Amino acid sequence: MKIKEKLRRVLHASTYIALILIINLVLLVEPNYAVEIEYYQNVLDRGYLKVGIPPYNTPPYYYYDNKTNRMEGIDIDIVRQFAKNIGVELLIDKDSKTYNGLLKRTGNGDFDLTIGKLSTFYKRMQDAHPHQYMTFRHALLANRKVISKLQRQLPNDKFAPILIESDIKIGFIGDSSYGEFANQLFPNAVKIGLKDWESCKTALLNNEVDAIYRDATEVKKIVYEQPNLSLDFVPILFDDKIDHISMYVSAKVNPDLGPMLDFYIREELGVKTDNQIMEEYECFFNKQTSQTCN
Amino acid sequence: MNINSSNVGSLKKQTTFSFNYASIRNSLKKLRSLKSFIIYILPISLLLGLVFPEASESLNSLGLSLIQLISFPAIPLVLAAVVLSTHSILTISKSQKSKYNFTRRLFLTLITIVIFVSLFALLLALYQKPGILSPDGKLSIGRYMLDVTDINLSLFTVNDGISDNFKWFKDILPVNIIGDASKNETLKVITGSCLLGWGLSLLSGEKAEPLLTFIRSIYDVALKVLDELLLIAPLVIICLIAGSFATISSEMIVALLNLTICMLLGSIAALGISRLIYKRFTSLRERKNLQGNPADSVFLLGLSTGSSLACYPTIIRSMENLGRNTNQSEVAASLSLLVSSMGNIIYNIIAIIFALNLFEVVLTPYKLVEVLILGIVTGISAAGLTGVSVVPTIGLALTALALPVGPVLVLLLAVDPILTLPRAATTAVLSMAICTICSEKTEDMKTDENNVMLNQEA
Repeated sequence: MKIKEKLRRVLHASTYIALILIINLVLLVEPNYAVEIEYYQNVLDRGYLKVGIPPYNTPPYYYYDNKTNRMEGIDIDIVRQFAKNIGVELLIDKDSKTYNGLLKRTGNGDFDLTIGKLSTFYKRMQDAHPHQYMTFRHALLANRKVISKLQRQLPNDKFAPILIESDIKIGFIGDSSYGEFANQLFPNAVKIGLKDWESCKTALLNNEVDAIYRDATEVKKIVYEQPNLSLDFVPILFDDKIDHISMYVSAKVNPDLGPMLDFYIREELGVKTDNQIMEEYECFFNKQTSQTCN
Repeated sequence: MNINSSNVGSLKKQTTFSFNYASIRNSLKKLRSLKSFIIYILPISLLLGLVFPEASESLNSLGLSLIQLISFPAIPLVLAAVVLSTHSILTISKSQKSKYNFTRRLFLTLITIVIFVSLFALLLALYQKPGILSPDGKLSIGRYMLDVTDINLSLFTVNDGISDNFKWFKDILPVNIIGDASKNETLKVITGSCLLGWGLSLLSGEKAEPLLTFIRSIYDVALKVLDELLLIAPLVIICLIAGSFATISSEMIVALLNLTICMLLGSIAALGISRLIYKRFTSLRERKNLQGNPADSVFLLGLSTGSSLACYPTIIRSMENLGRNTNQSEVAASLSLLVSSMGNIIYNIIAIIFALNLFEVVLTPYKLVEVLILGIVTGISAAGLTGVSVVPTIGLALTALALPVGPVLVLLLAVDPILTLPRAATTAVLSMAICTICSEKTEDMKTDENNVMLNQEA
C-alpha cells in the first residue's frame, strides 16, 4: 500500500514537473513580446518593413551605393531607423514604373509605407495618406537673359506676378508632381514634361527651355555642383510656395502605422526645411567642400 | 604785472603750438606727393596688411571713418559752390562787355572732353577686353555669386501696376534745400543750389550782395576746413590699402583683373592728358609760381581719398597760383566735379563693355554707339554721387541692353573698393584740365606777361 502511495506521489510530482517543463517550453517558443495591434504583429511575424521607393536614383535622398551594395540616402536612413524602432529589418521595393504608379501600389497595400522625396497634393492623397517630414520651397533655374528681359528694373518683391503670368518655356520631370504644380502656378507658360531631371538640365543648357522647375534643393544643387553656371542661370526661389514632402501609407494600414509614424517624425526627425537639409548634407550639395568631406 | 607776465606766457605757448602745428602740417603736406606715396605710403600700407592681416578689418573701418570725416564739409561746399557758380555763370553771360566768353568756352570744353574721354574709354575697353574670362575666372566668379544673386519671390505680393515714369525727375527736384542737405541728398542739393543761384542772378547787385557774402563765407569756411582735414589723407590711404586685405577677395581681383587694369589705365591716361593740357594751356610765366605739375598732386589726392570733391581746394589753389580768374575756376571746377564727372563716364563705359563681354554679346557698331550714349548718360546721372553709390547707375544701361543687372552689380561692387580710387582721381585730374582750359588769366597776370614780352623785345 505504502509503495503504491509513494508511486502515486512520484507520478504526481513527475506530472507537475512535466507540466512546468511544457509551460516553460511553450513560453520559450512563444516570445514574451507578443503585441496587441494585429498589424504590428504581422510585421513582427514577417520580420521586415516593406518600403516602396520611386524607380530612380535621386542622391542624396535615395540611391544605390556601389560601395555598400545597397540603397543609401537621407530617405533610406529615415525608414531604416523607423524599421529598427519597430524591431524588424528593412526591405526596399523599387519596382514601380512611375511616381504615380508607386502611389497606386501604396494604396493597394503593396508596401507598409512609401518614401522618396514625394510631394503632397490632392490627387495623391486619394490613393494614400501623407505624413509630412520635409518642406522644400518651389524653385526655378532660369536663363538670366530671359529673366532680365522680363524683370527689367523691377525689384524682386514686385516681380512674382509678372513671372507667373509670363509665357516662358518651363521644363520639368514628366509624370511628376511638378507637372501638376506648373499647371497651377504658370497658366500661360509653355510646359514641357521631360524624361528625368538630367534631361531637364540638358534642355536648359541647350536653350530648349527658359527654365526648369523643381524644389530648391535640386535647383541649387545644379549651381553648387557647377558654380560657373551661375553666371548664365539664376535660381528663383518661391519663399511661400512650399513642396510638402511626405511618406505615404495606405488607408488600410494608416490607422495602425500612422500614429507611430507621426510620433517618429515629430520626436526624432522634425520637419526639415530645404535650407536645413542643404546645410546638414553639405557634402552632397556643395561640390566645393565635397573634397574635404570624406 | 602778474597779468602781463601770464599773457606773455600764453602768447609764448600759442607761438610754440602754432609753430609745432605748422611743422606737422608741412610734414603731412609733403606726404601727399607722388614720391612719398611710392617710397613711404604704399610699402607701409602693404606691409601692415600682410604682417597684421587680423587688423585689416579695423584698419578698413578706421579708413572709412576718416573718409567720413573728410566728407563732412562736402555738402556745405557743394551747396555754396553751386550757388556761387550758377550766379557767376549767369552774371558773366549777361555782361556783353567781356570779349572772353567764359560760359560758351566752358560748355564747349566740357562737351569736347566728355566726347573725347568716352571714345578713349570705349577704345581702351575694346582693346583690354574686360569681362572675357578664362574657365578658372568664370568658376571664381560663379563661386562668388552662389546664393548672393538668387531671386527670392513671394507669391503673395501684388503688382500694383503703378510705375512712376517721372520718378527720376522727382528724385532730383529739391524739397527743402536745408532738409535735403541734412539728408545728404547731393543731387537735390545741386538742383536746389542751381535754382538759388539763378534767383540771385535775377536780383539787383545790391539786393543779392548780403546773401552772396553769406554764402561766400560758408564756402570759405567749408573750403578751409576741407583743406585742413585733407592733411590726414596719407593716413586714410594707409588704412584703406591695408584694410583692403580684409574686404576684397583676392580671387575676385584675379578674375576681374582686366577690368581693374582697364580702369587704372584709364586714370593714368587721364593724368597724362591733364599734364599735357596744363603745359599746353599755361605760359612759362604762369608756371613759374608753381612747383611741379599740379595735376600730379590733384591726382594723388583723388587716389588717396577716393573723393574727387576733396580735390576741389587743391584745384582752386593751383588756379589761383597760376594767376587765373578764381570765379571762373570755381565755376569750372564745381561743374566738372559735381555734374559731368569724367571718372564716372569712363568707368560706366568700361563697366558696360565688361557686362557685354561677360554675357558674350556680339559688339556691333550699333551696339558700340549705344554703349557710348548710355555710358555718358548714366555717368552724368551719377552727378553728386560718390564711392559705391556710383555703381548702380549703370543699371539703366544694362536694362536697356537687356543684360542681367544683379550679377553685374555684384561683381562690380566686389572690386569697387579698388576702382573707386582711380575713378575719383580721374574726375579730379580732368576737372583740373577743364579749369586750365576755361579760366581766363587775371588782369595782373596779363600785364606781367605783356611787360615780360616788351622787355624781351627791348
